[in-house]
Amino acid sequence: MSDKKAHSHEEHLREKHLMLDPLPRGKMNEMVMEAMMEPPTWKFWLIFGFLSIVVAYGLFYSWARLIMEGVGLAGVNRPIYWGIFLVNTVFWIGISHAGTFISAILRVFKAEFRRPFTRAAELMTTFGLVQAGFSIFMHLGRVWLAYWLMPYPNQRMLWPNLHSPLTWDLLAITTYLLSSTMYLFLPLIPDVAMARDRSTGWRKTFYKILALGFRGTEGEWAHLRNGMNIFAFAIIPVMFSVHTIVSWDFAAATRPGWNSTIFGPYFIVGALHSGMGAAIAVLAVIRGTMKHMKYFIRGEHFDAIGKLMLIISMAWAYFFFNDYMVQWYGGDKWTQLLLHFHEAGPMGWMWFGMLICNIAVPWAILWNQKWRSTPWLVATVGIIINVGMWFERYIIIPVSLSINRMPFTWRMYQPGIEIPLGIGTLAFFILLYMAASKLIPLIPVWEVQEGQMAHEFKKFGRETVVSVSELE
Amino acid sequence: MIRPEEIKMSSEETGKWGMVIDQDICTGCQACVAACAMENNVTFVGEVDSGYGRSMHWIRIERFWEGEYPEVKMTPNQPMLCQQCGHATCEPVCPAFATVHSQSEQLNLQVYNRCVGTRYCANNCPYQVRSFNWRDYERPEPLPNQFNPDVTVRRRGVMEKCTFCIQRIHKAQDKAKSEGREVVDGEFTTACAQACPASAITFGRIDNPESLVSQLGHRSHGVKHLEELGTLPNITYYKGG
Amino acid sequence: MTESNIVDLLAVFSDLEPAANAIEHLRAIGVADDCMNVISGIPVTEAMLGRPAQWTNVPRIAFGGAILGFSAAYLLTFVAPYTYPYPIQVSTQAYVPGPPTAVVLFELTMLGMLLSTFLGVFLDSFFPNYRPMKYVPEVSDGKIAILVECPHMEEKKITDALKKMGAESVKPAEAQHL
Repeated sequence: MSDKKAHSHEEHLREKHLMLDPLPRGKMNEMVMEAMMEPPTWKFWLIFGFLSIVVAYGLFYSWARLIMEGVGLAGVNRPIYWGIFLVNTVFWIGISHAGTFISAILRVFKAEFRRPFTRAAELMTTFGLVQAGFSIFMHLGRVWLAYWLMPYPNQRMLWPNLHSPLTWDLLAITTYLLSSTMYLFLPLIPDVAMARDRSTGWRKTFYKILALGFRGTEGEWAHLRNGMNIFAFAIIPVMFSVHTIVSWDFAAATRPGWNSTIFGPYFIVGALHSGMGAAIAVLAVIRGTMKHMKYFIRGEHFDAIGKLMLIISMAWAYFFFNDYMVQWYGGDKWTQLLLHFHEAGPMGWMWFGMLICNIAVPWAILWNQKWRSTPWLVATVGIIINVGMWFERYIIIPVSLSINRMPFTWRMYQPGIEIPLGIGTLAFFILLYMAASKLIPLIPVWEVQEGQMAHEFKKFGRETVVSVSELE
Repeated sequence: MIRPEEIKMSSEETGKWGMVIDQDICTGCQACVAACAMENNVTFVGEVDSGYGRSMHWIRIERFWEGEYPEVKMTPNQPMLCQQCGHATCEPVCPAFATVHSQSEQLNLQVYNRCVGTRYCANNCPYQVRSFNWRDYERPEPLPNQFNPDVTVRRRGVMEKCTFCIQRIHKAQDKAKSEGREVVDGEFTTACAQACPASAITFGRIDNPESLVSQLGHRSHGVKHLEELGTLPNITYYKGG
Repeated sequence: MTESNIVDLLAVFSDLEPAANAIEHLRAIGVADDCMNVISGIPVTEAMLGRPAQWTNVPRIAFGGAILGFSAAYLLTFVAPYTYPYPIQVSTQAYVPGPPTAVVLFELTMLGMLLSTFLGVFLDSFFPNYRPMKYVPEVSDGKIAILVECPHMEEKKITDALKKMGAESVKPAEAQHL
């Protein structure tokens, strides 16, 4: 009787946890390959075609017009010199933080649940940074001269101004984009080698080039392990520095509401908040639409990320309150006016919306384990958090810029061409992701297998427990 | 080791060129605004963009009223232009070194052809006196005939601002140099000061105690705008004297 | 011993345990560690197989890259401001400002380190390499393959030994396009 009970307990654990439910490697390879090579359905092509049109119009045509006619097409004016382009830049950099958080921090701390979705998160980082780059270049008045911001040797020995937070920003985002792309690529090598071994035609050529001739010899694994280890540790401070520097663009300025010393950590937590929300939404879509993904991505993963989201939401609330409290207490006339404008001004609905989306909704739903294990529900919460975080950046940039120390210039902001361009970046992000899901293995199979080898059941007295061995 | 009393406050530094604006005698006639636009080739943005906060004047007359309608009281007109701060917040934030400090003239320079249009300087200007070329605005005939050849014409995507008519400063300096003398106080002035019918604007050397602008500056009720930020503005305002 | 005298044998094992045993056995019958190589689909560590630790230059290359990145940042922060015809003054900040310099030093050091880590993996593993190589695709299905380099005359002895130790298949390896 007790034996049967223990058995069913084991079964239950197996059903719940991917790491305890091993399949032969060949079988998993097959599943991942099938998910990737499954011929796109008409729905896929419909969405793909629609998004392509949105990108062509929203991103490329509108951007061309913006370059040809000037920033006047956007809604910026005096005093709101920065508008939705910068909101979107901060937003996309924020989204990109989840990838590194999941794959680097969770890898460093050996959180086993990370294994099946590190790649999905890293892809978000790279594609999100591409959108951030687009957004910041849209913002420039003379984008064709943007290379002046880069330190390149030139005849007049004219270098960028290293005093400017924007220069640090450019260096940091470049570092982050390059390193996150490399960090995406390193663990991908064994998986494209796997794909190379079991594909034909153009795919074979494609994977052959990507796999670089990887066989899996002892030396190759040793170099790869070493490289990934260095990346996992080193990319964490880079990631922290990126969003801190983004916050310094605001915090270093002499403006009420911006000049806040807590903006660094506040922005990092905000970035993780939106990034985790986006990651979980992406995972829910992958799980729902791709073949065999219900095996790899399970309720436990939504549960684990849901817990992280709840903690990050609490941290965000803490930093928000901290920032608000100190600004309120400071008693500076202009800051008081600004805080009042946030809550009671014409954009007050957005300020309260931000608090509801970022605090009330996640807290109301994520405390319950059953709810946060439900993919569609947590994914919805993730999207709501992203709306809230977009509101937060909108309030920090155009809404806060409305109020300054020269009341004669106070004015409201009405977005113009920012709207198609913003939608264009979102569509481009989804488009890139859709294309990637058909081109590269979204599940790092070798990492999953490694994890499954490390897990086993162990008896402690009468209780069957899970034990994990450290293989590295 | 530095002892606290040895620390020199940067607010003790003085600039070179300065201005005194007497708000009590300013009539708000906007002659300075027109003169500045003509002298400096400031473009005309039209009423739609102007109404949306995109006017590009380098000097503006700010008018406020106090109290609730109908009990409103007008406050004195307040001409607002670049304060040529000694400790300018706009300068360090430009990633391209497009706005820098002139060490010889103690002015804030704007290098139009280096500007890439991040607009960070304008955000960081507490006086909100920088203007951005939102588009290439049209100049209907015969306006192109009145361009000042001494001043660059700016294109879209570039930031600009009051220069204290640096072209006039240089012209006067060149003339004085060719005649082997120093520039005399009152020999030249900025376009706004020249055009002011009430002589509310006085321009000159504030590092010369004999100049008119320094003499006027000795009056006790002068204020500098947003002085508490430590920007060291070089324009003194008089109100209610 | 000339090239033609040497044969490469490729033995495929289904599991870690027999592979480790086989390596032990090969060593016992006189095959040097240098003549063996293991190909696997997951990172099986050298210790698990009882093999000597692999030498890797990646950390050294990374360190070198960090130094290069730091030097580039040093040139940009401490030298470049003095290469102008006259120093450019912004606000009242020093030509070489303290805290911003730290930011630039940090970012470029990290960039140099991470770029060279990536490059180091490429250099150490001879990537990209599209020449024909000795390989069996079963490896990416989780099998472990042992590549043994032996003199022609010992081929039979070693093949038998490997088979005895549980190899699924042992055959002379041929370089092929992957």
